[in-house]
Formats: sequence, structure tokens, C-alpha cells
Amino acid sequence: MKTWKILLTAALGTAFAATAWAQQTTLRIFTGGQQRPDVMRKIADEYQKRNPNVKIEIEVGGATSEAQQQYLSTVLSSKDSVLDVVLIDVIRPAQWAAQGWAEPLDGYLGADRQKVMGQYLKAYVDANTVGGKIISLPYFADAQFMYYRKDLLEKYKRPVPRTWDEMMETARVIMEGEKNPNLQGFSTAGAPIEGTVCTYLVPLWGMGSDLTRGGKLNLDTPQARQPFQLYGRMKQAGVLPRNIAEIPTDRIRIDMQAGNLIFAQSWGYVWNRLENDADSKVKGKIGVARLPHDQGGQSATCIGGWQLAVSAFSKNKQEAVKFVRYLSSPEVSEMQAVMASHLPVFPSVYKDPDVLKANPWFAEALPVVESARSRPVSHQYPQVSDAIRSNMNAYLAGTKTTDTALADMKSRLQPIFR
Amino acid sequence: MRRDLSERTLGILLLAPAALLLAVIVVYPIATLFVNSLYGVDNANPAAGEQFVGLKNYATAFGDERFWDSTLHTVLYILVTVPASLVVGLGLALLANMPFRVKWPVRLGLLLPWALPLVFAGLIFRWFFEYKTGVVNDVLMRLGLEPLPWLSDPNLAFAAICIAIVWKSSSFMALMLLAGLQTIPRSLYEAAEVDGATKWQQFVEITLPMLRPAIFVALIFRTITAIQTFDIPYAMTGGGPGDSTETLAMYIHKTTLDFLDFGYGSALAALMFVLSMAATSGYLKYTRRSSGRSGED
Repeated sequence: MKTWKILLTAALGTAFAATAWAQQTTLRIFTGGQQRPDVMRKIADEYQKRNPNVKIEIEVGGATSEAQQQYLSTVLSSKDSVLDVVLIDVIRPAQWAAQGWAEPLDGYLGADRQKVMGQYLKAYVDANTVGGKIISLPYFADAQFMYYRKDLLEKYKRPVPRTWDEMMETARVIMEGEKNPNLQGFSTAGAPIEGTVCTYLVPLWGMGSDLTRGGKLNLDTPQARQPFQLYGRMKQAGVLPRNIAEIPTDRIRIDMQAGNLIFAQSWGYVWNRLENDADSKVKGKIGVARLPHDQGGQSATCIGGWQLAVSAFSKNKQEAVKFVRYLSSPEVSEMQAVMASHLPVFPSVYKDPDVLKANPWFAEALPVVESARSRPVSHQYPQVSDAIRSNMNAYLAGTKTTDTALADMKSRLQPIFR
Repeated sequence: MRRDLSERTLGILLLAPAALLLAVIVVYPIATLFVNSLYGVDNANPAAGEQFVGLKNYATAFGDERFWDSTLHTVLYILVTVPASLVVGLGLALLANMPFRVKWPVRLGLLLPWALPLVFAGLIFRWFFEYKTGVVNDVLMRLGLEPLPWLSDPNLAFAAICIAIVWKSSSFMALMLLAGLQTIPRSLYEAAEVDGATKWQQFVEITLPMLRPAIFVALIFRTITAIQTFDIPYAMTGGGPGDSTETLAMYIHKTTLDFLDFGYGSALAALMFVLSMAATSGYLKYTRRSSGRSGED
């Protein structure tokens, strides 16, 4: 008798396990190493708790936006179904739409479309819609800010600078006063990477100009020279690090965290690391403000942020869209804001008390994010980016003059913006 | 019906698997590459569609300044790193061939750089040459010299990359040459010693001539890998500052994987293939001629 019972239990158990197995969906999401995969894991765990039939695997890719896209281009050009959801940079949706890599989400949202899209910051509705189709949904917002050493500004009784010249002057005074050879004045992305595109565009926008005008290239203006001249002045004043042409995005955060920087132009994630990392030497000493501008201009900033696209080759699109809608919800936006100082994509979350407790500067961040501008939208964006960043990098390294850098930039951009 | 296969049929049958494998993994991709290079497979502009454009991609390449620049950089890397790694590799091989009582530390030291993935070597050297935290500038400063912006000055970056490539590739050269050295019979050196030849004379008159086939094989392999130089400059400078350290392989990678212009990328790759064939056939012609001459002796 006993044997029968055991056999029956075993058989039933196997049957249950088999049905559970059949219902279990595994979703694989790709994210970059800099977009806090640890925080995404916590969010995914929460989702798994609520949806026991879904298992989320997180694949972590390269540290830079380009490195990630190179890998993704290989996977998606071969129509591989291994990835279900991909976290993509704000500059990518146009290219993803043109390649047919992203599953358009319109059909899945159906009647909810207006309700869902209406709650985001407008810039992210625009960034994720290509040719009237919803290519992806926003995960978190971002913009570049000026990080500064509150303690040093107080020590030298200097106000938070509003113009680049004020910033240079303040940096010079502090550097002379501190006599610390490791202390640098100002840093921004200078290596030949995506972030360096913003290094060129921010001062250009600050002067009220733009790279294109009515779809045509607009670099024959005096303003187009301004960014080069600005960094030239900073270099001469000794405010920029001498190796500025080697500096990638996260290096700025590392230098600031080590207490070696007075001013930095960087993204939202930096705050959380400076305030919470065990090895941070600048806890409680950091302020965040709008980026400076030229005399007669106004503060401008580059829009960033990461979007969730469902792979067109995924075999679990329904489940993937469900997960994406969860990741792109006010609840997750709040979790990210508290755990990683990722800027929310919902205006309401900026006023959340828990969010403000973790990030007091978010109170003033909303208007900055709302006024942030997009890098040129093009399905050939990688070529656009390469033309800008490699010439900005060459100028910062001192191998090209304003004239040659601008001429080379123009000749590479001309065929794209005809 | 014949029961036995003729010898000819048997031969074909036995060769078929190997031939098929070669066709699938070598002939097919290369043929596809050449066919692709004739198409305007501009994926970043799919509205235009995939069109047969004939030799247009090649014409574009010949008028593309960046193609010529990256080819020039590649040729410079070849001219510097191939001879340099031969000299260093020969030195290492001679060292490893010396009658040490314990051989494994030398052999391990020889194998280690070779076993290391290229991109690791690139990253390690990138940290060595880093401006503020790199060990090279630290040494310079201890000697009372100014630190140098190794990776953001085109000439210094070229030098730094060459040093990394020579370090990485010398051990492979040394391995090939060591194999060659060990085939030289000891009796030749003993005879030379009896005749009163110095060590240097032994090296020039025995070692080098006997080693010539090994040197040529090593040079061919090294030159082909030098034409494909990618990982080390990619990891160290990403082609910067500007595009001053970009090699042809890096430009092909950028065109295909960043710009998604597979047609133009294929044409560039086909041109690199031609460059590679030209270099190899040059070496082969030279070896054939010289081995012919030694046969007459």
C-alpha cells in the first residue's frame, strides 16, 4: 500500500511540475553596466513575486552606449530571439525603427494608448515615437547637470556660477587656494564616445543655435565655433584636466568621488554614487545646479535617459510588453529614483516625499529635464555622433584647430543632412 | 553493378567532408562578402532598399580620405611592429633555447603574453599609459620628468600602441623561432667551435641561415595579424585622438557595426583582403626564390 502512495505522489508531483514548467515564461532583458543592473534586479524580483509564472533574466552588456549597440547590432541583425526586452539609449529609437528591431507597441496598448502616453514628460513621448509609432517606453529620464563642491564654494565665499567665465574664475581661485596638484577645475566627457557629442552641443545650444535648422546643416554660424573656443579658453586657464581627451563619462564621476574635481558636467546617476558609495570622499559636500552658459546666452542641457524596447524577434512578446509596462510605471520610477537617483519620467514622481528625501535637488530638476534638448534625430545617428565626437575629441587633444575640426565635422555631416 | 568503388570515387568520397567544410566556413563567407560589396546594403537607410550598385562602393573607398588614412595607419603599424617583434622574439627564443637547468619559468614567461586575449593586453596597457594613474607617467615623474599625455597625443599614442603590440606578439614569434632553433643540430656549433669561430660568427653563419624558413613563416603570420590590427588600439584609444590611431580593421568594424552600412563595409573588407594577399604573396615569392637559390648551392 505504502509503495502505491509514494508512486502516486511522485506521479502527481511530476505532473504538477510539468504544467508549472509549461506555464513558466523566461524573459531576458538586456541592460548596460552603467544603468544600475543591481537596481533592475531588485525591481525584477518584485515583478517575479507578483507574477510567479515569469522568470526574469538580466543580461549586462558594455559600459558605453556604443559598445552596447555594437553587440545588439550583431544579435539583432541576425534576428536572434535570445533577448526579449532591451534597454536602449534615448538617441536610438529612430535607428531601431528604421531597422525593424523594435516591436511597435501601439497594438499592445490599444485603447490605453492615450492614457499611458499622456502621463509621461512630453520629451519622452517624442523620443519614443517614430513616424507615429510607439517604438519603446521610457525607463528613466536624464539630463546633464553641473555638479559642484558646495564645501569649497563656501570656503572661498563664491556663489554658484551662472556663466562659464564665472565658473572658470571660481575654479581658478579655488585651485590656487587649495594648492592640491590633484584638484582639477572642471571635467566633461572628452574621449571619442557618445557623451562627447553633448560636450559640443551644450554650449552651442546655450548660444541659441543648433546643429541643424529645418533639417539642413547649420554650422556656418559664428555660434558653431563657440564650443571649441570655450574649451580652448578653459584649457588655457588650466581649468580642464590635461588628459581631457581621454575622459569617458564614468571617469568624471570617479574623479569627483575621489575629491579631485570642483565642477563637473554629468548625468543624474552621479548624485547617488557620490552620496552613497562607501569610498566617496565627498558625501554631503556636493551641490547640483543648471549648467552654466555664455554671457548673453542661457543655460542648456542634453536630454538623456533609457528606453525599453521589445525585440521584434522575441518569442514572448505578450509577456515582454507586460513587463515593459511595469518597468515604465510610476511605481518603478519611484523605486529607481530612491535607489539610483534615476530621474523620473513622470512629473508627479518628482514631488514624491520619499524621492525628495533621497534626492533633495530633484525639486529643481524637473524644469531642467523639461527644457533639455534632443541630440539630432536621424536614423543615421551613429554617423552623426561619430562626426561630432571624433572632431570634438581631436580639438580637445590639441590635434585640430577650431577651423579644421569644424570643417571636418561639416564635411562628414553634409551627406547626412542634405 | 560494380561492387567496388573505383579508387577515384573513393578518393573523392574521402575528400568530400573536408571540401564541404571548407566550402561552408571559408568559400561561402568570402563569396558572400564579395557579393555584398556590390550592393548598397545601407541598413541605416532602408527606405532606399537593397540595390545592386556595381563597383560604386569601391569607387567611394578610393575617394574616401578616412579609408586612406586608416590604411596608412595600418601600414605604419606593420612597418614598426613586424620587425620589432621579430627582433624581440628572436632574443626571447635565444634566451629560451639556452641550457637552463629549470626550463619552465622561461617558457611560461614566453607563453603568457601569447595566451592573454588581445583586448586584455590592450586594457592593461591603457592603464599603464593612463595620464594620472598610469605606471609609465609615475616612473617619468619619479625620474623628475614631466608626465606625458600618452593616449591623447597622436604620436605618443602611436608609440604606446606599438609597444603594446610588440609585447603581445613577440612571444608568438619567439615560439615559432624556438621550434626552428631546436632543429639546428648541435654538431654544427661544435664544428664551428673547433674551427675557432666566435659566438657572433656562429650566430651569423649558422643560426640565422638555418633559421630562415622559420623566420619567414613567423613573418608571414605576424604580417597578416598586423594587417588586421584591431583589438589593442580599440581598447587603448578607440582610434583617438580624432581618428589618428584608427586602423583599417577598426574602420571596417565601425562602418558595419556602428553605421550598419554592410555594403561599404564589405567593400572595405575586400580591399583589406587584397592587401593581405599582396603582402603574403610577396613573402611567398621571396621564400620560393631564396629556397631555390639555396638548392643550387
